[in-house]
Amino acid sequence: MKTTLAAALVTAACLGLQTARAEETQKVDIPSIPGLPKITEQDFTKAIHKSFYVNNPHEWGRFFDPTLQTCDATHDQPSAKQAQEILNREQKSIVYPKGGKLMGDWRLGEKWAEGVHGGRIGYPGFADADDPKKPNEANCYACHAMSPSFPQAGNIGPSLTDYGKLRGTSEAIVKYTYDKIYNSKSFNPCSLMPRYGGPKHLLTPEQVADLTAYLLDPQSPVNNGGNKTAQAK
Amino acid sequence: MLLVGKALAAGDSGDQFATYRAMLEQDNPGQFWVDDGKKLFHEPRGPKHVSLEGCDFGAGPGVLKGAYARMPRYFKDANAVQTLEGRILWCSEKLQGIKPMELLKPHYVNAAEEDSREDKLTALTAYVAAQSNGMPYDPPMDHAQEKYVYALGKYTFFRRMGKMDLSCADCHGVPGRTIRGVELPIMTDPETAGRVMAAFPAYVLKDSNVRTFWWRNERCLLAMRLPWLMTGSEIDAALTLFQAIEAKKSKIPIKVPGIKPRA
Repeated sequence: MKTTLAAALVTAACLGLQTARAEETQKVDIPSIPGLPKITEQDFTKAIHKSFYVNNPHEWGRFFDPTLQTCDATHDQPSAKQAQEILNREQKSIVYPKGGKLMGDWRLGEKWAEGVHGGRIGYPGFADADDPKKPNEANCYACHAMSPSFPQAGNIGPSLTDYGKLRGTSEAIVKYTYDKIYNSKSFNPCSLMPRYGGPKHLLTPEQVADLTAYLLDPQSPVNNGGNKTAQAK
Repeated sequence: MLLVGKALAAGDSGDQFATYRAMLEQDNPGQFWVDDGKKLFHEPRGPKHVSLEGCDFGAGPGVLKGAYARMPRYFKDANAVQTLEGRILWCSEKLQGIKPMELLKPHYVNAAEEDSREDKLTALTAYVAAQSNGMPYDPPMDHAQEKYVYALGKYTFFRRMGKMDLSCADCHGVPGRTIRGVELPIMTDPETAGRVMAAFPAYVLKDSNVRTFWWRNERCLLAMRLPWLMTGSEIDAALTLFQAIEAKKSKIPIKVPGIKPRA
């Protein structure tokens, strides 16, 4: 629980900083319009069935998730009881690779971190759909700076450059990193970070282990100033 | 990198493509789509061999001037709040006897292709929209269904969903965020919403193609790993109306075809 709180605080601190930084140039301003009806989940469900093309009914599941439902309903501030329910459920979802090795291959991890393929349905038979036969990737760089040699990083999540250099590779850190990537909501109930592990999301346990290695392995460019060939001494 | 991102976020000054975009503003290739749309609009087409000139876009049959600026809006004959694309699909079916999928198939395929001119719906939308040039968005929001669809759009915009656990607002409602180094338009900021919406249907540089606002909504939902958003559907109208009301506050005049702003 202590780790959870710390993670939540770090996230909150990062988000707070970004908001403050940006408000110098832009404001968020939604007009208040009188007489708006209250929209319910039933209304939304009805509307999506009229609005989206789905060739396999189980894809409607993409719209619904008990954890996100609680987060939405509470504006990402669940009560202590709700938070505990979420943490319990999400912690239980975590699956480890066969053989229990949580540090995989950082070179593969780099591929998953940089790549953007996976999970798009598109229009049936349509070019924008991702090929389900190819492995999914995680697009970590959308939100995080990682290796300094990959400059096109987003800033929605904190920088992970030198992640392993700063933390070492103790068993606890390895497990925390694996679990955080597999299921961010197992630490912070309404984390902005996507959950990556498991069939409802994009990655296999082995891929999560590869990403864990990408963050933690001393030879990974994340911990080597972007140098892919540097040898840790 | 964050510092560089900040410099870009501060305005177009740090954007190496800004000059190129400004040049294209003067001589926008999207004008070809408007010209195609004009021809398609006025010529008799479909099984009933009539033009779209009898279509009522809200200001009376055949009145195009300012119609797009007042959409999405409620149409009594369709008993629905419709976007411009949705209205064109409706009129094509009712007046000309053209089945919606006939226009939608190439429209959907075009969304993935970089240079397709087979998509009549985009050309028609660009033509009708351009007749609102110089006018800011001002959807009526009088009818109960308009208020309902706006509220649905707001609800949808802030609802987290999809394999990435994200809402529209997570990327487009919090200033200062970048994705893969690209600044994100804050659609809850009237000035940004106004600038973005005024350009659509817009010429998209990286695609060398004109895209309608449906495409704008769809690309995000695709990235959120949600199913395929149907053009002119209720959620399409809802998200578009929610953003059009933001754009309205800015009073930025429509300029179609625009160049899709970087952010």
